[in-house]
Amino acid sequence: MNRQKLPAVFALPLVVLFIFAIKPHYGGEISVKLNEPTTFTLNTANYSNLILYSLIYENFFYLQKDGTITTHVFEDYRFDAGSKTLILTLKENLSFSNGKPLSAKNIQQSLKMFLGANLFAASKLNKVIKNIRSVENQILVELLTDKADILDLMTAPELVVLAENEQSFSGPFYPDEWEKNHHLTLKANPFYAGGRTYLDAVKIVFTDETLPDVFLSSPKSLRENFQEFDSGIFQNIYLCFLQGDVGQNTKIALYTLLKRFNEASGFKYRELNTLTSDEESPVAIQIKTITERRMASILKSSDIKLYILASLSFLEKDLTAFLKKNNLKIETLFIDDSQMMNFLNSTAIQYVLIDKIFQTKIPIEEKISRILKESSFNQFNVKYLRMLGELDEVKYSNSQELLMEQIARISEAIINDGFIFPLFQKQYSLYIRNVWQAVEVDYYGRPLFQKARKAND
Amino acid sequence: MKKVAQQSCEVPCGGIRALDSKFKICSKKPTNFRICYKALTWSLLMLLLFPVFVFCQSATEAMVQEAADHVRDFFKDKTASRVAVVQFENYSELTDLAMQKIYQLLTARLENDKNISVSDLLLNFANGRGDFNVSKVNELDYLLYLRFIQNKSKIGIGMMIFSRWQDKLVSIKYCEKNLGPGERELLNVRNFAFSEMGFSKLSEFATKKNLMDVQSTPGADGQTQYFFYYPDEIVIYTAREDRLEKQTATKLNWSRPLYPVLHYHGKLLLFLFNHELIMTVGGNFSSNAQMLTLRDNVWLETAKIGFVPFKKLIFNGNSYLVGASYDEGKNFFTDKIYFMPFSDPAVVSGIIERKAFPAYAIDFSTQEDQLQGIHLIDRNYRYRLLTADFNETAPEPEPKGASLSAGDGQWLAISDYSRQTDRIFFYDIKAGGLRPVYSGKIPGEIQFISAGVWQNTKGFWVGCQLPHDQDDQSVLQFWGKRNE
Repeated sequence: MNRQKLPAVFALPLVVLFIFAIKPHYGGEISVKLNEPTTFTLNTANYSNLILYSLIYENFFYLQKDGTITTHVFEDYRFDAGSKTLILTLKENLSFSNGKPLSAKNIQQSLKMFLGANLFAASKLNKVIKNIRSVENQILVELLTDKADILDLMTAPELVVLAENEQSFSGPFYPDEWEKNHHLTLKANPFYAGGRTYLDAVKIVFTDETLPDVFLSSPKSLRENFQEFDSGIFQNIYLCFLQGDVGQNTKIALYTLLKRFNEASGFKYRELNTLTSDEESPVAIQIKTITERRMASILKSSDIKLYILASLSFLEKDLTAFLKKNNLKIETLFIDDSQMMNFLNSTAIQYVLIDKIFQTKIPIEEKISRILKESSFNQFNVKYLRMLGELDEVKYSNSQELLMEQIARISEAIINDGFIFPLFQKQYSLYIRNVWQAVEVDYYGRPLFQKARKAND
Repeated sequence: MKKVAQQSCEVPCGGIRALDSKFKICSKKPTNFRICYKALTWSLLMLLLFPVFVFCQSATEAMVQEAADHVRDFFKDKTASRVAVVQFENYSELTDLAMQKIYQLLTARLENDKNISVSDLLLNFANGRGDFNVSKVNELDYLLYLRFIQNKSKIGIGMMIFSRWQDKLVSIKYCEKNLGPGERELLNVRNFAFSEMGFSKLSEFATKKNLMDVQSTPGADGQTQYFFYYPDEIVIYTAREDRLEKQTATKLNWSRPLYPVLHYHGKLLLFLFNHELIMTVGGNFSSNAQMLTLRDNVWLETAKIGFVPFKKLIFNGNSYLVGASYDEGKNFFTDKIYFMPFSDPAVVSGIIERKAFPAYAIDFSTQEDQLQGIHLIDRNYRYRLLTADFNETAPEPEPKGASLSAGDGQWLAISDYSRQTDRIFFYDIKAGGLRPVYSGKIPGEIQFISAGVWQNTKGFWVGCQLPHDQDDQSVLQFWGKRNE
């Protein structure tokens, strides 16, 4: 049988089953393969986390793939042009997963926390917000300018409803059982603002013991009984040097090492020669590698601790084996994204592998701004601030040429300053077992399980 | 028998609906033409009594099929052509009623043709001519002209297809058949021949979405008040001719814990107690139902009840509220039936639980306020009947839909085990069994069925969700027996 035709063959019995479903069946558990988190504190630094935390924290607004903006927590939202105020009216009687009331104060506080985060999306929103107040069940967001498109900014996946208590969750599910290194069970939140999900539970698995119902993999890895969804996102991996005193030789040697690692693993990861994506960047970055012998000589004389964000834990096995095989005594340490921010002001971390996820559709100027803002860490300075300002100016000039020129200038400056080297790019597709229906994928490539149910239920 | 009964009861779409700006819910009575079910059922009886008619009937069907085939052939290379019969004349010896039946037969055939979109514009058929809604003609691509003639002993049908865009006749078809006397009699059977007929759709209204239940009670002025139960309010209407006029609305204040739901389900109960009107409202979004008492024209919450009351009935001479409890936030009831002694609208105590089954739908049939049986659709879509002393009868083997309602211990209405194009089935339960007597088509999916009264006619309210529901509206129909 032609494998390409398999989905159609399987679709038929599903249609028959669907016809005879009268009422949606409540119950069941879907398994999803994701990276194991370190805590339940919101951290959307990578794609896996983006999905995981979307299950337990509710977004203010959702951006659908077709550009539609929806919300589950607000009864009404409108922009009052006269007072330049966005008025968000909270639904009545909402609760967190533990039954505690979800009030306008929680919304106000959540918004403030988001604005305080070191995120590009937050800084954009910060620029337009003057004040946030809550009056009864309304949140009044006063703006500095007429900004009718503020809702677009508020669809950021990091802008979620947080509770004062860490054990309360606003999302469709809440953590129920966590067996470390194995699985995490999320139970349906009976108070979920969007309406109780059909599913009883989501099982997040961290191992490959069984094939889960939902998993991420590289595009076009055809799987029987699975449907592939374009996630619309990619993940870039960068080598960063957090201290200014790292020698150029060491930087190049470490860069060469990681390039050789990819080569040795059969180019498992796509080579990245730009800061954003090779397809869209006006400039390519050519960092010359050095010979293996020279690389080994430099690295052997250096005491290198390579920190790697936990979201890149998939590199661990291969990288450790590679280092061992090449007799290189480089210590690799995996740290959680949230912990890294605490290390920034210490000298403990010199070399770190980080990742950034991007929506393919986002304009390149936004991506480059984000890299500059979020990945320059403690080296962000007046020069970069000025460059971002200039980028903003050319954005409104309507000159694509000027825009590309500015992006090229920023890329050049970042590379010349030598604190971030692009390494690899990982592209993702989302695979969902055919038996599951009504799983939607939003603009940010997150599977939404609110109405997910088995076809034969 | 069941199949025959279903076939005999194809009731054409009834009148429609519109929620106007003055908060009136309007309806249009089905025309006389549309109330052809009596004759159809009479036809059914004739068929049973005189099997030879079955053979005779096929001549009409064959003629109609030939005409329909011609239309299908004409449109086979065209797509989405908008077509309607706009002229229909009868010069044969057949009566107007026979013409109505034949028109229905033809329309039903044409509706199955995927290449055309058929509109039913017939308003009435009288004095040998069809009366059509000509205001819709501008929305059509092709017009069908029909003419029946008598050719000696045969009946002939002439059909012309007129293209509005070409402004000319594009096809003509004539066919004739010999109709036997039995078939002619069957077609010409008069409306008033038999009064014992089935349920039909008597009214249809457009409503807001999330309507969960409808109940009625006589108002202070003797006029019936209709209570529409939405999650956040009760809207009270009175009937003015075929319309519903909004009288008042009462906001429902629910307290925590509240469970947001994907689909709202709930029950409304109204009854008089010590000359006071009592209302209970409960649903799948709250753990507690509210008991409200009307005092000085204001609804006051007098108690919260831990289950959703369905009915007030008598047990051993004492009043009880009987009901069930939704699995919170979901679309089904848990496996318990609750009985609460009722002597004071402010007192909630002494609740007794009895085990039943988790169910998508439950209702209680009563006779003279005594519990007769508990009707359930379980989570496997099996109909189950529990007797008053909770003995279970064997579940029905055929799956049923997820909505059900029992009316007065006499009739039971159940939705179909299907999606998108639903049906409603009416069963006679007087004798304790489940005897199918009637069915009708429902546009979309049935959301709830509730026994009730509309303009002194007993029957069932049916809340439907249309396949492509627009403007946040749903459809409410009332099905009843017009002769009762």
